[in-house]
Amino acid sequence: MTMFLLASRNLVRRPLRSALTLAGLSLGVAVLACLYSFGNGYKRALSGELDRMGVQLMLVPLGCPYDAAARVLKGKELDNSLPETALEEARRDPAVAVAAPLLMVALPRPHEGRADMWVGLDESALELKPWWRVSSGQKWFPDEAAVILGCDAAEIEMRAPGDDFFSPETGANLKVTGVLERSGTSDDSLFFVPLRTAQKMFQQPGRVTAIAIRLRDPELLRGASERLQQIPGAQVVTLTEMMGTFLSLLGAVRTLLLSLAFVALAISVLSVFNTLLAAVVERTNELSVMRAIGASRAQIVRLIATEALLLSGAGSVLGILLALSFGRGIENLVKGFLPMVPTQSLLSPTFTIGLQSLVIGVAVGVLGGLYPAWRASRLHPAAALKAE
Amino acid sequence: MSRLLLVGGGAAALVVAAIAWQSGRPSSSEFFVGKTKPPEAAPVCPWREPEVDLKLSFPNASRYELENHPLSGSRLELAERLGRALAPDENLLPVYRIYGETGAVGAVLTRRVKGTHGAIEVVIATDLRDQVCGLRLQRLREPEGVARALENPEWLRSFHGKTAGSGWDLGRDIPEVPPEARASAAAIAEGARSALILLAGTARSPSNAPVKAPHH
Repeated sequence: MTMFLLASRNLVRRPLRSALTLAGLSLGVAVLACLYSFGNGYKRALSGELDRMGVQLMLVPLGCPYDAAARVLKGKELDNSLPETALEEARRDPAVAVAAPLLMVALPRPHEGRADMWVGLDESALELKPWWRVSSGQKWFPDEAAVILGCDAAEIEMRAPGDDFFSPETGANLKVTGVLERSGTSDDSLFFVPLRTAQKMFQQPGRVTAIAIRLRDPELLRGASERLQQIPGAQVVTLTEMMGTFLSLLGAVRTLLLSLAFVALAISVLSVFNTLLAAVVERTNELSVMRAIGASRAQIVRLIATEALLLSGAGSVLGILLALSFGRGIENLVKGFLPMVPTQSLLSPTFTIGLQSLVIGVAVGVLGGLYPAWRASRLHPAAALKAE
Repeated sequence: MSRLLLVGGGAAALVVAAIAWQSGRPSSSEFFVGKTKPPEAAPVCPWREPEVDLKLSFPNASRYELENHPLSGSRLELAERLGRALAPDENLLPVYRIYGETGAVGAVLTRRVKGTHGAIEVVIATDLRDQVCGLRLQRLREPEGVARALENPEWLRSFHGKTAGSGWDLGRDIPEVPPEARASAAAIAEGARSALILLAGTARSPSNAPVKAPHH
């Protein structure tokens, strides 16, 4: 306890220097904690979103499969489409439990900085989205002139079940039959219409932009992929592949950012080293007197090490608190660079991540304090007498 | 000095911890999860094309400034004038104050109203006496015939000179429109009237002093 008090008093003797070291260390730890948390959160949010899709395969038109599947998942339109015969072929495959066609079309509204996203569905979509709930109205279209709105879309358009809804670009006059509950997915801002209606509205008879597929048994994935790949004009993307691709992209970004975090921590080591070494040099007389009146080398090492521990412990705790406070800002910044951004939060702060960051931060501090502690312990009691 | 620093540091850590704890709590909007908000509580309507409206209604304007007027202090009085309760999004009135070379020349208000076929966004320009000096529909999704009637310049000009206290009856104070456009036209008129009543409300109570946003 005496050692602890002595060490903390030594630190507050030079408040500005200690505060600056603390700030540097806390920033490094904050970045590290954010990155750990972000990586885990992204993986969890992505797999959650893909799981909720309830599909293992996506049949998309020829082109870049990942781009196509990502666009479908993000609620963006595709440039080309598949013939509806591909749907029939997919449904004939013995491994396919559900094949749901999607026709997605974006109608840009440049003045509003957004696009109306129309999605044509048939009833098989309900089997893939068992979690679909309406907050008001009906869950499915009673006729072809019906539209179901995502909750954000309904809010912006001020629509409720029973209201008319007009699409000026296509001339379609529809009746709102339902408004979806908030799901936290891209569904919240979409306009859903029956597939046939979408095909008529956008003059795409017999065409779909993607087919979402759920298998009878996930074990059948390989064989089913090979067979479905044979459908002319179509290519298969498995969601596992997609997730792998997104995660490896994230991995590359994360490695780069982690390198930066470790550089920041290395600078923190030097900062702690500099602070403590300067303190040791300044206190040469004091430490020599301590040695002269009986303090052992081990006690001097413990004193300086305790100072390093206090600095790095406080810096790490502050860094973790900073990460918790400003993590959302960093998340928003990073989201812009990711190929597929789940709608839920990407930050997943856990006790383990906090502990890891704390341990690394403290280790950094202690490492920075090793040499100053060793040097302090080498001071000879005679140095104090000489100085006197 | 050292005690002061320790106490200060401790206080700062507590503040940061409080912010961190608060950021983990759901925001007030999240309490609405699973419930569709009533249409009256539509998201705040942005002013989408200031250049267009300034050119039309304030050709000599040099700049504009956003002022946010809290109206919560005069809810009862405003409700009485409006003839209905204030919607949740009406607790704060964003007013774009327009300035010319010599000072303020007027204001612009925006309203999102429920048209027959979708939301209609109305831009209302007022002069220094809070009289309408310009009205434009910046967004609507009505069928062509209805849209033509609502965007008719003559019809829109009929709003000029109106104040919060004017008559706003469609067919009497405002020219009639074809039957299929009537509901949307009435919504536009009611939206403009509400905006002017709320604007007048900002001048009545000192508690409604604006919170200014950065210059544009």
